[in-house]
Parts: sequence; structure tokens; C-alpha cells
Amino acid sequence: MSRPWPLLAGSLALCIGLPLALAGAPFAAYIVTGAFLQLLFAAGMNLLSGYTGITPLSFAGITGISAYLCVGLVMRAGWSFWAAWPVATLVAAFVGVLLGLPALRLRGFYFVLSSLVVQTVLTLAFTAFASLTNGDTGISQIPPPSSPFVAGGTLGGTGLDLLIALVGWAGVVISWRLAGSGFGRRLVAVREDPELAETLGVDVVFCKLAAFFISSLYAAAGGPLMAVFVGFISPRSFDLLASLNIWLMVAFGGQGSIAGPLIGTLILAPLPSFLLGYYQVKDIIYGLLIITVTVAMPGGIHGWISNRMRPRLP
Amino acid sequence: MDSETILVGVSILTTGLLLGAIFSLAASGVTIVYGSIWLPNASNGQFFLIAPLIAWLLVTSFGLSTPAAAGLALILAVPFSYFLEATLIRRFYDVPNRNIAYFMVTLGLTQVFAGLLNITFGQWSDQFSLPPVLGGISWIGPFPMQNNRLLVLCLAITLLVALFSLMRYHRFGRALRAVFQNREAAALRGVDVRAVYRTSFLLGTLMIFAAGLLYGMALSFDLTLAWNMAVTVFAIMIVGGPGSVLGAVVVGMMFGFTQAVVSAFATPTIASFAYLGAMLGVLLLKPDGLFTR
Repeated sequence: MSRPWPLLAGSLALCIGLPLALAGAPFAAYIVTGAFLQLLFAAGMNLLSGYTGITPLSFAGITGISAYLCVGLVMRAGWSFWAAWPVATLVAAFVGVLLGLPALRLRGFYFVLSSLVVQTVLTLAFTAFASLTNGDTGISQIPPPSSPFVAGGTLGGTGLDLLIALVGWAGVVISWRLAGSGFGRRLVAVREDPELAETLGVDVVFCKLAAFFISSLYAAAGGPLMAVFVGFISPRSFDLLASLNIWLMVAFGGQGSIAGPLIGTLILAPLPSFLLGYYQVKDIIYGLLIITVTVAMPGGIHGWISNRMRPRLP
Repeated sequence: MDSETILVGVSILTTGLLLGAIFSLAASGVTIVYGSIWLPNASNGQFFLIAPLIAWLLVTSFGLSTPAAAGLALILAVPFSYFLEATLIRRFYDVPNRNIAYFMVTLGLTQVFAGLLNITFGQWSDQFSLPPVLGGISWIGPFPMQNNRLLVLCLAITLLVALFSLMRYHRFGRALRAVFQNREAAALRGVDVRAVYRTSFLLGTLMIFAAGLLYGMALSFDLTLAWNMAVTVFAIMIVGGPGSVLGAVVVGMMFGFTQAVVSAFATPTIASFAYLGAMLGVLLLKPDGLFTR
């Protein structure tokens, strides 16, 4: 895009204005902030799944590592959230790179399967090491972060909503800049044909690892935010279904584009809030959508629309 | 050795045999489907669970006997598999890298089935079990074994033997193995590849249903069984080598005994860790599995 500034300024204004406007409507604010959080996750998933062509089903596990680590540092070691958040994010992102190493060896289905194994092991570990994670019961009453402006105050309600909206916005903007850069085009080259990319001088190993690191940063940065926003974490919040649902938002909207995950998240993220108490119905709907997207619309909504708008040869 | 140690040892041995035979049966079903269609069925655990749940429903609501209910549930595998084949599976037969698409589709199916079972069977009961077909205990030499479990074990082994004979001696089995080895060459030699795909999906579904029914006849179960089985069966398939029935049986037996030993002395979670570790190790070191030629 030649002149991105109006779009950037407009979306930024929306991200600041929306939480402020909804300050008096807690339920609506909850839905909107939840959507911003999912937007961050979807942007990170899109970098790997859409641009690099690697589907990491261990995505939510990275989020979980970061969330548990941050909550542990805050509630047990007495750290400030503002110190624990970046530390937990960096640690979890490095773990994400380690867990991505199989992608250097395994192709296609075999990597997806290995990431499913990793995700399952992580969920089992969150349950099994109950002394650190409180097992299946989960950790509740997670305190909100301290206010960076008022000494002794806490950042809750609209303040926290604003923070998450800004982080979500920054995540999408950064992924957009990355996708348009030379690095983003190298990722696409790796996706399309790794051997050819290698002969063209693309460092495939570096590209894959860098994509894993950046994508894991997204997954990890959202974990602590999710913990303080919801106030509760349990192994269920970071299981295979969570990973699959993030993938669904990306694939439903359209992988490998910036608008696609935006569309997918805006449609799917609010859905669970309207089905409160019927979360199994949500599972069924999401499952059916996964099947529909895979069978009928591999390009997602975005791919379908841009197919329609492309001028056709007579 | 005192008598208590012997009793624990014998119970591990019989449980290991039983679980091993059932795992082998289910894993053979999944591995046949992967070997021919390239369909890694992530929802095999749900298939495995649905079969005994149907039998349980038939027993509790319609008063059928366990063998009749199990037989009916097994027959239901035919329309079930035909429906899935016609609506979903068939669409991808000609797609080159279809295993990823299939994997995603079956993960979606898993989510749908899990939701459906939760709002139906999950509301009706926490724990399910089928009334035993046979009562009493037999002594095999000095070892006691429940007649019911002995029957299930015999049935499982009979089915495995039948599968091996089918694969080795029957026309269909030979066509199936030809497709495993080389699709194009098999087609050139006059094998109807699509018909083999269809039949192998049916055969695989029947095997998983049979394994689930045998499990339900021998042991009590709950809805978490589906996910545990899915992980276990996938691990068996990968370690044994996708497409290798021999690998599925050998590794299935090994995993069955592992499960029996671990559940006697520790929590089953450790067994899951062991399976997943084995699967990851094989994926990284020898992605074709241990038993592929």
C-alpha cells in the first residue's frame, strides 16, 4: 500500500476509542477485548501457518507456558507484572523455537503431527505438575497488573482493555509490515518451494527458525495478558482445541493475507460469548467450520472474495 | 515369590495381552486407511468410543443382550463409514498433499463428535459398562482369568488372524498391498484404486468399531477414552510405520503391556508421556517407522 498512514491512524483511533466508548458496558467491553486478544494470536499464527506454510498445533501451548510462568512470577515470587510479562514472553518464545526444531526435518503432515504431540505433552504437563500449575483446577483470582501511572493503583477494567487493544493493534501492524518486507517474501518462497528458495540464496533454516521465533513471541505475549484479563487459567485454556480454534480463525478468514485473519477473528471470536453455557455447541460449530473451510474454501473468506473481484478474461 | 506378587504379575500379563490385542486391532484399522488413502484419522478415538456407546444405549434402553447389541453396533459401522466416505473422504482422493487436509478434517470431526457425545451420553452417565457375556473364572494352568475377558481376548486374536489372512491371501488384500506400495503401478495392473480406497476405509472403520466394542465388553469406560485412544493409536501407527499392519500389531502389543505395567504401579499419565515420547523420537529419527520395508 502506497500511503498506509490514514489506515494506520484510523485503526489506531478505533482501537483507543472502542474500549473508552464501551467503558460503561462491561459485557460488550469483554467481548471486544477478547477479540483483540484473539487478533494478536491470529496474526502470529498467520505468520507461520499462512506465510511460511507450517501449521503449528502447539501454538496454545506456548501461550500456556508464558501465562503460567508470568502468573507464577507474579503470585509466588512477588514480581511486578511489567517485569514478569516480558521475561515470560521471551522465555516462552525461545521454548517455541526449540519446539519448532522438528520443522527443519519434517515436512507437511509429519510436522503437524509432531506439533500435535508437543501440544498434547504440554497440556499433560500443565495438568501433571500440579504443584506449579494447580493441575486441572487451574489458578484463579489472578491479580490485575499494577498501574504504571498511579503508585499503588491497579490497571483494571478499561485501562487493561486499552492495553490489550493496543497490543493487538501493534501485533497486526507488525505482521503486516513483516509480510510486505523482503523477509516476508522469503517466507513465502520457503512455503512455495524450499529447494528452489535454497538455490535462490534464501537461508531456509534461518527463515523457518525466525518465523517460529516471531510467531512464538505473538503466542507468548498474549498469554500473560489473557491471564490477567480473564483472571483465571487452567490447562483447558491452552489445549489442542485452543490451538485448533486459532488456526480456524486464520484459515476461515484466509491464510497468507493480512485481511483474512482479521475477518476470521472478527466473525469467530465473539461467537463463544453468545453461547455462554453451551460451550459444547461452540465446539460443534467450530468443528463443522474446520471441516467446511478445509473441504470447500481453502482460501478462506478473503480468498473467496478476491477470487470474485479479480477481473476475468473474456 | 509370595502369592500376592504372582497375582499382580498375572493380572498385568492378562490385562497387557487384552489391551495389546485391542490396541493392535484399532491401530491396524487406522494404519490400513493411512497406507491406502493417506488419511490419518485423528478422530479414530471418537470412532472407537462411539461403538461401545451405541451398544450401551441398545442394552440399557432396548434391553438387548450384549452380543446382540455389539453385533448391531458393528453393522452400523457400514452406513456410518459409507456416509463419511461419500460426503467428505471422497473429495480429496486426487489431491496430492491430501494427508494434511485429511488431518484437519478429522480434527474437525473429532471436535464435532466430542461435542455431540458430551451433550448426549455425557448428560446420561459418567461411567459406562456393558454387562459381561460370560461369568466365572477359568484356570489356565495356575493362572486365573475371567471367562469374559478370555472370550474378548480370543475374539480379538481371531479378528487379527482373519485380518492377516485377508491381507495375505485374499484378492482384496493383495490389491490393497499393491496400492500401499505403488498407486500408479497398481492402477496400471488393473487394480481399481478408488474401489480399494472405499473398501479400505470401510475395513478400517469396522476394525476400529470392533476394537472399541471389545474394549467396552471387557472394561468400563468414560468419554475421556476417546482422546486417550486417539493419542495411543496414532503413536502405535507412527512407531510401527504408517501402512504396516505387522508394525501396528507388534507395537500395539508392546504399548498394551506398557499400559498394563504402568497402571499397576503409577498414574496412566506416565504411559501417555511414554507413548508421546516414543512417537516424537520415531518421527525425528526414522519418520517411516520401525516396520516399513
